[in-house]
Amino acid sequence: MKYRLECVDAGSEYCPCYLAETNNCITCSHLQGKQFCDCEWRGTCIYQEYVNNGYQKTYQREDIPVQVEKRESIGSNCMMLKIKVSKTLARQLKEPGAYVFLRGTDLPHYFDVPMSIMEADDSNGYIYISYQTLGAKTKKLDEDRSEFLLRGPYWNGLYGLKSLKKVSEDNCLVIARGIAQAPAILVIKKLIKNRNKVIFVVDKGVVGEIFIEDLIDGLDIRIIEEDVQSENGKFLIKNILRNEDIGLVYSGGSDVLHASVINMIDQVGVNPNIVITNNNEICCGEGICGGCTIRLSNGVRAKTCKTQLEARKVIERRVFDD
Amino acid sequence: MTKVVIIGGGWAGCAAAISAKKAGAEVTLIERTDLLIGLGNVGGIMRNNGRYTATEENIALGAPELFDVTDSCARHKNIEFPGHKHATLYDVTQVEPTVRRLLKDKGINILFESRAIDIIKEDKKIKGIVLSDKSVIYGDVFIETTGSTGPMGNCLKYGNGCSMCILRCPSFGPRISISKRAGVEDILGKRGDESYGAFSGSCKLNKDSLSAEIVEKLNKEGVAVLRIPEEDINLGKLDIKVCQQYALKEFAENIVLLDTGHAKLMAPFYPLEKLRKIKGLENARYEDPYAGGKANSVRYLSIAPRNNSMKVRGVDNLLCAGEKSGLFVGHTEAIATGTLAGHNSVRLSLGVPLLELPRNLAIGDIIAFANEQIITEEGLKKRYTFAGSEFFQRMKSTGLYITDKEEIKRKISRVNLLGIYNEKLI
Ligand SMILES: Cc1cc2nc3c(=O)[nH]c(=O)nc-3n(C[C@H](O)[C@H](O)[C@H](O)COP(=O)(O)OP(=O)(O)OC[C@H]3O[C@@H](n4cnc5c(N)ncnc54)[C@H](O)[C@@H]3O)c2cc1C
Ligand code: FES
Repeated sequence: MKYRLECVDAGSEYCPCYLAETNNCITCSHLQGKQFCDCEWRGTCIYQEYVNNGYQKTYQREDIPVQVEKRESIGSNCMMLKIKVSKTLARQLKEPGAYVFLRGTDLPHYFDVPMSIMEADDSNGYIYISYQTLGAKTKKLDEDRSEFLLRGPYWNGLYGLKSLKKVSEDNCLVIARGIAQAPAILVIKKLIKNRNKVIFVVDKGVVGEIFIEDLIDGLDIRIIEEDVQSENGKFLIKNILRNEDIGLVYSGGSDVLHASVINMIDQVGVNPNIVITNNNEICCGEGICGGCTIRLSNGVRAKTCKTQLEARKVIERRVFDD
Repeated sequence: MTKVVIIGGGWAGCAAAISAKKAGAEVTLIERTDLLIGLGNVGGIMRNNGRYTATEENIALGAPELFDVTDSCARHKNIEFPGHKHATLYDVTQVEPTVRRLLKDKGINILFESRAIDIIKEDKKIKGIVLSDKSVIYGDVFIETTGSTGPMGNCLKYGNGCSMCILRCPSFGPRISISKRAGVEDILGKRGDESYGAFSGSCKLNKDSLSAEIVEKLNKEGVAVLRIPEEDINLGKLDIKVCQQYALKEFAENIVLLDTGHAKLMAPFYPLEKLRKIKGLENARYEDPYAGGKANSVRYLSIAPRNNSMKVRGVDNLLCAGEKSGLFVGHTEAIATGTLAGHNSVRLSLGVPLLELPRNLAIGDIIAFANEQIITEEGLKKRYTFAGSEFFQRMKSTGLYITDKEEIKRKISRVNLLGIYNEKLI
């Protein structure tokens, strides 16, 4: 079976993009320089959009200045930002897997750092972001800035979006560790909206704090706090997988966590849909720079900033390569 | 029991399903839309010219079922229009539901809104068909009848864009080529000017939008021929058509309307402004394709190489029929090739020799003739149908064109094939 790639932007208002203009489209065979149709259909014909637009890309995302309304320290080395944006942008970002790029207004573009959306308030126009200060880019966010340049919306922060959007009236297990608590909020809310029962296993991780308590307060979910990498944690997760008839598992954390969750699923012998956070180093977000490219075990190369992949395929190649 | 999986529920796929079932297989038919008979939902012309012979041959060979449906759903029988004799026009609003009931009654398992996207293959054998929801339909023998139309990108690159035809790619997703997924290169039809594919040759007007006079004429006689204003006559347009049997001067100088429930307009597309200049069409609007004023679907971009028993070359357990199997035009052509492929699917699973129809039958000759022609550059620019152009000429000159049912029956019994499709093989 040949593996055709799905671009998360296909059919969005940002499609077709620069990749169409250069015959590097992730999805459309015509826009890869081939003669005939052969695509992983995403509900829209990218070639038609491209031709109708005069053989050009559509309007692309630009940097916009945004104000920081609140900055709060959360646990060791972590920060939460509340940022004022337009209601439209907040609505576009109120999707699991959504992310934006942020950098200081005075800094060159290579300081752009991708940030998952923790929560979006589309009636008032706010987004909430949490991050851990690690390298040059995040350290530069830390300075007492009140204004940033923001570029977005981007959507490929999670793999398995299709199953996440489809699952309804099912039992779901959400696992989140450390800073990955942040993107779990939109996931949990989506699952609740689709009348799923959610068991949330949350682990402080290196952040050392459960910083999302306020945001999940009052939600109708079962919350269990546990170190998910410990023997106890693994025992707990396996028990849930074995006894709760889980239709979807979400793993938010490092690839090591993903691999261990997939391993547990296989040991128990169940077959839920798997959704994981995208942990690749994302640089331009547009499929141009190639910084996020990974090689799957079948040799296919995929730019992970835009390409939806199967969780197992992503992790499989990690285990292969690392 | 042999499990036969058919991909594509057009006329070819429906015919294959019935004959495979009659030969004893368990049959699953995969269709990406919510309708059977594919392009048959917008056609309707049967039994014109040599199609009469082919129809009676298929019936005598033991597969009357689908022709019984098209005959019983006829709005007009034995009519004439320029270049065409003894045509039957079926009512496009009646046929699909009747076929659907027939297939269900025969115990054929139909999967609607199920789009094949890939295959699972081992060596030169297909094991299963992957659907767009990633489920897999396994089988012993497969028949590809996905047609050759579209999808959108092709209709745009080789035509005037998606015209919103009955196959409704934007809603149900694109056609794919199963044989190509199995590693066999597609053969592509060409036009006179060397470009790929060809436009579908007709559109449908909404009958209620036509003048009372035209509607009455259509209801009574089945045909209305309307003169085109001098300044709008365009002979060049005949070249781009699929249906060379209708690429006659009469069709360029006149608008020919046929009553198939809607008013079938014998032109690939026709700008609405110009159309409305014609007397009686002042309020005309399109019923299919919706953008018939601008474009039509593009076909013949995906033909599998095959032998004369309909088996695809290079794959051990794949057969094909209909437009997938050659530059064929027509319901009759799809049904005739589909029936043979369905029957042979069971033979293939049993390892017995496949049936090849003799060339003294019109059906046997068209299958072999189209195969000989397709390997030539000129042959790629032609279309093959019992109803006209080169092949009908050939039928007439070789004596294959017969309209006496009894004589056709006698001929088939002489070659010992009477009722062959009724034989239960397992
Ligand atoms: C406007 C128009 C008018 C016509 N008028 C006439 C006429 O009057 N008389 C006549 O004899 N002929 C007519 N023809 C030609 C005739 O309709 C076709 O040649 C014939 O019906 C082709 O049948 P088929 O089964 O090979 O293909 P199709 O009818 O194209 O059927 C293919 C089927 O496969 C399905 N499919 C494709 N890909 C997939 C996939 N990946 N997974 C699942 N399903 C899939 C499609 O949805 C479709 O239902 C007309 C054609 C057109 C377009
Ligand atoms: S981040 Fe630049 S190509 Fe993906």
